Amino acid sequence: MPRYGIAIDTTKCIGCHACKVACQNHNGLEYDQKFNTIYQVDRGKYPSFSKEFVPAQCNHCENAPCERVCPTGAIYTSPEGVVLVHRNRCVGCKYCIEACPYKVRLIDHHEGISVKCWFCIDLVRQGGEPACVTTCPTQVRIFGDLDDPDSRVSRFIAENRAQPLRPDLGTKPKIFYKRS
Amino acid sequence: MPESAWGWLIVTYLFLAGAGSGAFIAAVACDLLAPDWSKALARAGSLAAGPLVAVGTSALVLDLEAGLWEPWRQFYLVFNPSSMITWGVVILSAFIPISLLYAAALNEITFIGRYFRKYVWHLEIVGTVFAFATAIYTGVLIAVINGVPFWNTPLMPVLFLASALSTGLAVAMIGAAIIDISTIRTLSNFALGHVIFLSIEGVVLLLFVFMSLTRSVEAAESAMMLLSGSLSPFFWALVVVVGILAPFVLSIVEYYEYGRMPKYLVVGADLCVLIGGISLRALIIYSGTAPQVLA
Repeated sequence: MPRYGIAIDTTKCIGCHACKVACQNHNGLEYDQKFNTIYQVDRGKYPSFSKEFVPAQCNHCENAPCERVCPTGAIYTSPEGVVLVHRNRCVGCKYCIEACPYKVRLIDHHEGISVKCWFCIDLVRQGGEPACVTTCPTQVRIFGDLDDPDSRVSRFIAENRAQPLRPDLGTKPKIFYKRS
Repeated sequence: MPESAWGWLIVTYLFLAGAGSGAFIAAVACDLLAPDWSKALARAGSLAAGPLVAVGTSALVLDLEAGLWEPWRQFYLVFNPSSMITWGVVILSAFIPISLLYAAALNEITFIGRYFRKYVWHLEIVGTVFAFATAIYTGVLIAVINGVPFWNTPLMPVLFLASALSTGLAVAMIGAAIIDISTIRTLSNFALGHVIFLSIEGVVLLLFVFMSLTRSVEAAESAMMLLSGSLSPFFWALVVVVGILAPFVLSIVEYYEYGRMPKYLVVGADLCVLIGGISLRALIIYSGTAPQVLA
């Protein structure tokens, strides 16, 4: 079984939000629901100024805090290492939203359950890639198998020493960032 | 005020679960340790405990989404032993019936109460264990979360237990005054309890806030929000002055002025403790901030 992950090159991100919109389209989300957030980090003062766009989504942590605190066991990790929510089991207690350090979860008020990025596992299982990855005009994201040392994502992480966000929290995220 | 997934329903639940379990402990302590003249307080505490925790638990259920309109999903709530909510469901399912049964037995309500009258002592022991479990678990519930660094400290359950004991005693004392206003003179004996619990609560709150200032940047941000930021008027006025200092001073006076204090000041001190208890829960929930993941 592969162990899916994404590498993100923030130096390429132009902040166009196409990934967010593609994700909303693919998952049928409302305009105010998003699985992708593009943070902006400002450094310095004009004229010595730089702006960094950091796309963030569910990190599919190997040691997922949301999965640990979910009382119903609705949150589980698929064989591909993707953290998923069982739609018929979730009661909407919002404990996972509080527990997630990356705050990438939200409540879908139509179904009353907690939802988040699921690596478009429907597309991936048919041999495709997540919508945010394929839609990005500057190819910020690289999707692939972290267990395969020859995959593009593994090579990119090794070459650029890409790091997850806040590795000190011990959640072992599967999204890696090259930030400079 | 930062966005929190949990709102006033969870605050209500945390407060009522604390006050209810504290009232149970106050009732048991009073029934076992205090002489006959204080039976009104034991009766009031036992009568208040179960309903308070039950109303609090309904607030918790009302906060659910899919679990509210498809209630059979709540069956799944006990399936993950690594989740504090699973533990909470088990603890509450045990504590609510036990405390209702204890109220019936102690006050000899209906044939059930008369039947269980001879088992009061057993109910007190088992119920006290679950009362402490309820009070402590509400703190552990938010202390195990590393998504909100301000809450993520072992001091949280200690603070919630101290607050539960003081608010529970306050509930029992107000109840005793309602059941039998003539006992208001004897309530001065229990003012010492307020002095003890409020000092513990004050010291733990002091430790909690001051240690948060250096624990992590996010915890410091939350603590500063309470000390000098957007929530500071509520923190200083409702928690520190109304919730701790005022009832602390009133209780000391009450204890030394044995039985001579005006009725409204005796009940007023208890009401202050309750306002402080719910404000403390609300401010802790609303001041939680997420980790700074981009640092």
